[in-house]
Amino acid sequence: MSDFSEDLLRPTKEDDPAGRSVRSGSGMRLPWLQKHVESVPTRGKKEKDFAQTTSACLSFIQDALLKHQWQRAAEYMHSYLQTLEDSDSQKRQAAPEMIWKLGSEILYYHPKSSVETFNAFADRMKNIGVMNYLTISLQHTLYLLHHGLLDDASRNLSQAETWRYGEKSSSQEALINLVQAYKGLLQYYTWSKKKKELSELDEDDYAYSTASQNMFSHSWKTSINFSALIQTPGVWDPFVKSYVEMLEFYGDQDGAREVLTNYAYDEKFPSNPNAHVYLYNFLKREKAPREKLISVLKILYQIVPSHKLMLEFHRLLRKSDQEEHRRLGLEVLFGVLDFAGCAKNVTAWQCLAKYLRQILMRSHPAWIQEEWNSRKSWWPGFHFSSFWAKSDWKEDRALAYEKAFVAGILLGKGCKYFRYISKQDHQVLRKKFKRMKKLVKKHSIVNP
Amino acid sequence: MDFPSSLRPALFMTGPLGLSDVPDTSFMCSWRDALTLPESLPQNSENGAPHLAKGLLWEPDTPGPLPLLPPGPDPWDPGLTAQDLLFRGGPKFRRQPQAVLDVTEQFSRFLWDHGDIAFSSLGKLMLENFNLEGPRSYSKKKTVVSVKRILEDLGGHQPWGCPWAYFSHRQRRFSILGDPILGKSVSSLLGELLYEELATRWEQLLLDDAFTGGALAWLPGRTPQVRQLVYPAGGALDKLSRGPDFQEVRLTPGSDPRILGKPGHIQLRGPVRQVVTCTVQGECKTVNYFPPLLPEPDPDPDLHLLHPSSALLAVRSDYHCALWKVSRQGRPVPLQVLKVEKGATGINLSPHLPGELVVCSRSGAVCLWTPHDGLRQIYKDPETLVFRDPSPWRWADFTAHPRVLTVGDRTGVKIIDTQGPPGCGLLLFRVGAEASCQKGERVLLTQYLGECGPDSLQPTLHLICTQFSLYLMDERLPLVPMLKWDHNLPSAPLLAQLLPPPRPGCARPLLLGGQGGQLQLLHITGEGASTPRLAGHPQSLPSRSDSLSAFPLLEPRSHWQLQERLQAPTIGLAATILPSSSSPVLSLFQLSTAGDVFHQCLHLREDLGPPSDPRPNCCAPTASWSPQATACCRRWLKALLKVPPAPPVWAAPTFSHRHLLGFKEQQKVEGKVPEGLRAAMAQGRLLQQRDLGSLPTTEPPPGPTPGPTDELSERLEAAWEGPVTAWWEQQRDRTSRPGRQLKRPKRRTQLSNTFSSLSSRLDLSGATSAPHSPDWTSPVSRPRSPVALPSQELTQDLWAQGIPSERQQTLRDYMAKLPLQGNTPEGSSTSLSQISSTQATPSTQRTLRDCAAELSSHRDTPGGATLPSSQTSSIWATPSRQQVRILSGSQPHRKKPRMGF
Repeated sequence: MSDFSEDLLRPTKEDDPAGRSVRSGSGMRLPWLQKHVESVPTRGKKEKDFAQTTSACLSFIQDALLKHQWQRAAEYMHSYLQTLEDSDSQKRQAAPEMIWKLGSEILYYHPKSSVETFNAFADRMKNIGVMNYLTISLQHTLYLLHHGLLDDASRNLSQAETWRYGEKSSSQEALINLVQAYKGLLQYYTWSKKKKELSELDEDDYAYSTASQNMFSHSWKTSINFSALIQTPGVWDPFVKSYVEMLEFYGDQDGAREVLTNYAYDEKFPSNPNAHVYLYNFLKREKAPREKLISVLKILYQIVPSHKLMLEFHRLLRKSDQEEHRRLGLEVLFGVLDFAGCAKNVTAWQCLAKYLRQILMRSHPAWIQEEWNSRKSWWPGFHFSSFWAKSDWKEDRALAYEKAFVAGILLGKGCKYFRYISKQDHQVLRKKFKRMKKLVKKHSIVNP
Repeated sequence: MDFPSSLRPALFMTGPLGLSDVPDTSFMCSWRDALTLPESLPQNSENGAPHLAKGLLWEPDTPGPLPLLPPGPDPWDPGLTAQDLLFRGGPKFRRQPQAVLDVTEQFSRFLWDHGDIAFSSLGKLMLENFNLEGPRSYSKKKTVVSVKRILEDLGGHQPWGCPWAYFSHRQRRFSILGDPILGKSVSSLLGELLYEELATRWEQLLLDDAFTGGALAWLPGRTPQVRQLVYPAGGALDKLSRGPDFQEVRLTPGSDPRILGKPGHIQLRGPVRQVVTCTVQGECKTVNYFPPLLPEPDPDPDLHLLHPSSALLAVRSDYHCALWKVSRQGRPVPLQVLKVEKGATGINLSPHLPGELVVCSRSGAVCLWTPHDGLRQIYKDPETLVFRDPSPWRWADFTAHPRVLTVGDRTGVKIIDTQGPPGCGLLLFRVGAEASCQKGERVLLTQYLGECGPDSLQPTLHLICTQFSLYLMDERLPLVPMLKWDHNLPSAPLLAQLLPPPRPGCARPLLLGGQGGQLQLLHITGEGASTPRLAGHPQSLPSRSDSLSAFPLLEPRSHWQLQERLQAPTIGLAATILPSSSSPVLSLFQLSTAGDVFHQCLHLREDLGPPSDPRPNCCAPTASWSPQATACCRRWLKALLKVPPAPPVWAAPTFSHRHLLGFKEQQKVEGKVPEGLRAAMAQGRLLQQRDLGSLPTTEPPPGPTPGPTDELSERLEAAWEGPVTAWWEQQRDRTSRPGRQLKRPKRRTQLSNTFSSLSSRLDLSGATSAPHSPDWTSPVSRPRSPVALPSQELTQDLWAQGIPSERQQTLRDYMAKLPLQGNTPEGSSTSLSQISSTQATPSTQRTLRDCAAELSSHRDTPGGATLPSSQTSSIWATPSRQQVRILSGSQPHRKKPRMGF
């Protein structure tokens, strides 16, 4: 409480870039504190008229945007431009960014706006807020890309790439890298278009050689564009994907592997499941040894045990010679079925039923027991309740059958799910059911 | 489960904000989120770009929500406002305003009001220094004071620093002697406690996290169309509305919801803070699977099969949590009650396993709770996750894995495995550079959005709300937000609800509710293997205070009461989508702290045309009030006005003004007006115009005044019914005199010509709003009053060219909202009408003004110091007052007198 009181009484010297939010107790900023404080009448100086009109205008624009009244927002926007001349330097500096945000939003949604209007606005805004040149350029490019104007987008990025202002800060550098990467992506688009054309051409054709030459000239340019950015920590899935595709096409397998390994294993990067997926797919294409594939998927398993590649992982492990791997294969399957989103995955249940049988044949009931111990308390309610028995039977017979088998093995033939399903009389499945009952009787890990 | 095959590019930086110089690449434009990079081939981008439904909009049927149930019989007190807590004598405007708690005034008031508490112990200690009875003892001791004499001196003394107060030498001596003891010991002992209390109240006013999650929820009813609403009722919100059933509501797509029956109540021991309901696996009784949480009515004929038979209902109070099982037909069966010593902050029901709950307490403990197995502590950390934050608020929710939970506090959200070793886990979200958080940003709400289904979002998404933004996080990719949106809500977003898609393939509405009643709706798409993103610009939905225009015109006091009621904080949100043949209907219910449930229907309007297609009608046709709606509002209002006002917590002691009056009465009384005034004061009642006899009234009465006979006044008269009519009839004789009718238009010409097109509307707003003192309203209106300001931009560009009709509407809405935000202290309206009705004669007006000025100056200068009269008069000459005068048209300037003591 003591810091709180100090906060209240001591004037804070810190600059507040947002301008609107104020510190309350505990260092938390509340945007609505200003409103509360202003509701108390004071006798002193009031905010300037200019500031009042601008902030009122801003709130009108925001309100109109939230009501999807683009026309009204545009009219207010016309007046809001006065904020560029604010005498308060802090507000004046923040103004271009604000205008860009609101303006681009309006122009994107306004029924009468066109690409030309947007272009004109973006070009003006780039030069008004010099500091925002790069961010605006990037967003402008995205807009153009969205409208299918690849050439314009590319031109726009080239301009941004060469832009410099003042000393090169790290923030500027990161943005320039991003600009270059987007440029690379655009080049990749044209490249892949050409590749497609090339695949349609005959190799003996005269045009083939020029086209292929064209493609080669592209490659080295693009690699430079991508390489700077993908060293920076971040999520760069589209860039990495296209970069690797190009590297692979030109036979630079080592380069591609290095890029992917770096993307997947660099600790500074967020643990992006896609990085491991890309690496795995690359290694698979490369026909890497199974050990290698397993080691990649093992990490993916630790990050996302519910990934759809896990069933593939299970298959790899099942085929492995090592006992340890086969045991992990069971764990992976149980792990997949732990998730609510995978509970109706027939393939997973099929795999589990099959694998349980296999393991029990090879007399490793301890493995199952170990996996089951931690799930004993909640799987019956989660998967094998009588509600699910009825619902599964109605919706998906195959799923119900597989689940019933697993339930029989794990919980014994007395379990609700197994009993319900096995009682169902079905012509086609009768034989199957008989076998299932026999197997369950023989193998169930529950001692009768 | 599919993971998005390609995520949106994003920079990733670790650590707190501001440490590294990195650009903020989350640009915060909704359209930017709508864009996805063309997957691989450019030729697709021209025609293959996803056709975004840009015109996705839920249109409200009425301009504001309507009351669903009659107001409860208990009086409701709006509680403290910033005016009650903050120091009013702020020196000057700051861009970063300072919140200075007004301890001095509160303290001196406390000493006056509760002197017995403050001084009783001291009095006992000093008993020997007082001579309580009997004649004056002639002891030599100078330290003994005769109480009788002092009381005699004090008799008739007007306290609170009256400038004409007379001090006897005895009093002076007493105060000199007593001051060191009386002044210091009491203030040092009590002041600290009082300050602490005020600071807590102030924090609570800014952010009251008790109702995080919301206290309004759905339960399945007897049939799919009939559902039960569960919410706390009663003045203290301590009754869970219930009968044999909870409040039943019949929902049909075509019409408004119908209330069935009258619910009874379950009386609880404390106020209900959070209500959570959940249907898991149909409680193992129904034949069919039913999606958890929000049952979606299906037009299938065999609907009853899809209908869940029972649901679980969990309720969190301050120190208790309870769980009920509610079956479709039967009564709710209490399953278990849990006492939380340190106070519970959050409760959630598992969407996976029936009867499993997670409860968190202020001590930092998170427990898994099942009625069968009891409590199991799964996490405990009195410290916050990322950095130190004093808030004891904790939150916990479930994830896609039934044995993995999220645990959140103000600084971040962590994923913990309940089966793993205690203490370990993975940060899902942290307030820092990873999500490009702002300085001072804190987590206010986290919610698991999972729901498995073929047509839904990834079941691994979590919603995280801060005071600035909203984040969607995927638990498979911690720390990197999948989506970020600056919601810009003017109050804390403590309520959120994700709804099923209105139509297959349509974006899912995500409702976000601020404590102040503001609602926002986001359209979120991203099925299967794509990243979640916004489809179209988010939209705002009408709040309860937008319904004010549906109510009949009222006299100021009732108007205030109504406005305060409509602006009560929202503490619950429940919505559902009813598919209908024409367009899907979103049925939205909200609960306020006053216990009111309001309802609103919205229709979906989609524009699927290509993005470049200019739409002929871009602006939504504004909804208007139907006669049924206004009738409904009128009925509700009638019931509300019957509710007795909240009894004052404590009434100020009356000082011996009777004594003064008696003394004055001996003097020659000249004129009827002072006499009437005095009589009214002696009886402690309102001074009404009839008490003053027939006066040459020159000023209009408070509230609506009809101008020269025009349409507006005719309409108003027609609209006036109920309790106002009688009053109005009485007033009309006087107000429709020709002499005054001439005055009003003349005065209005004082407004600049640019306002001419608006003047009638301005006048209307002046009429709808209650009269108010400039001192109170000016700061409210100040930041949002461009109309009255001589801005050249505005006058030239906007007003002079004639205002588009739609904008006039906005302006009128805005003007209607302008003057009052419910910040006026209770009771002031009475005295206002008292004063304003006496403004007739200059002499009375003058004396009252002086009186009011003096009183208010006392209020402004705690400690009883008096102000020179020049200063008091300068209070009234601030520019803000002039602004208000312009705004309120020809209304006379009224003052707010000092209320009580």
